[in-house]
Amino acid sequence: MSGPAKFRNKVKISERHGSGEWLIERTALALLIPLGLWVLSTAFTLAGSSYDDLRVWFTGPLNAGLLIVTLLALFTFVSLAWKVIIEDYVHQPTTRTLLIGGLNLVFLALAAASVFFIVRLALGSAPLPAGIGA
Amino acid sequence: MSSSPLPGDATNAPVTDRTGRFVRQPNGRTRPLSPHLQIWRWHVTMAASILFRVTIGAISVAAVIAVGWLAALAFGPEAYAKVAACLGSPFGLFIGFGLTVVLFSFILNGARHLFNDTGNGLTLKSANLLSNIAVWAPIPLAVLFWVLLFATGRVSL
Repeated sequence: MSGPAKFRNKVKISERHGSGEWLIERTALALLIPLGLWVLSTAFTLAGSSYDDLRVWFTGPLNAGLLIVTLLALFTFVSLAWKVIIEDYVHQPTTRTLLIGGLNLVFLALAAASVFFIVRLALGSAPLPAGIGA
Repeated sequence: MSSSPLPGDATNAPVTDRTGRFVRQPNGRTRPLSPHLQIWRWHVTMAASILFRVTIGAISVAAVIAVGWLAALAFGPEAYAKVAACLGSPFGLFIGFGLTVVLFSFILNGARHLFNDTGNGLTLKSANLLSNIAVWAPIPLAVLFWVLLFATGRVSL
């Protein structure tokens, strides 16, 4: 169900949700460029650090917070980017839907796992699996 | 004959379309294809474009490695010691170098893509310049990064 075409500045605009995903993808990419530079400088200063030094680094709220934002932006970006790539090259509708859905599930699980690990490290929790069953 | 084909349903004769992008679909219509590697003429702008898609694949793998590294840290000193030994081995350092190239490439090519998305830098000259930077600069930058890592004694073989 699509209504009459909408125009902005005499250019036909996306009728449903295509432009929203496009904009989210660009916003995530725009975030990732300064965050990527931060990751590079952090990797440089942390290279060769001991386990204890790394644990200390993670207790800094800014460090842990920025790392969470970086990974969430990255997983948002790659999930949408993979969707575009798959839509371009996979023409079988069932395969396409399964691939996009499967990859989204993987990225969602990875994003949740990374937030879980970073929060534990930031709070200075005991090494896993302490606190979950063992 | 108009210079640019209409979107979706162009009637492109092979004589006028020299890009090779237009193919006759099973329903009889002529549609442009997505950039498949076999039919695109080699050019640096095309290389930068397809390389960004490759970089997205590589940075996805990098993200998986990063989550594994976080997991090792969260699982305690013994688990981390094993992962750190892997990362510090010659093969681990080689992978680390590759990840640095990927990150530099992602930043530079991503910046190029964003800049082009705003409609800027699309003249022949600036598109070539930006693409050349995005394609080639990651390698010397990553080499410099690792030379500095070794020179400051943070990493050693």
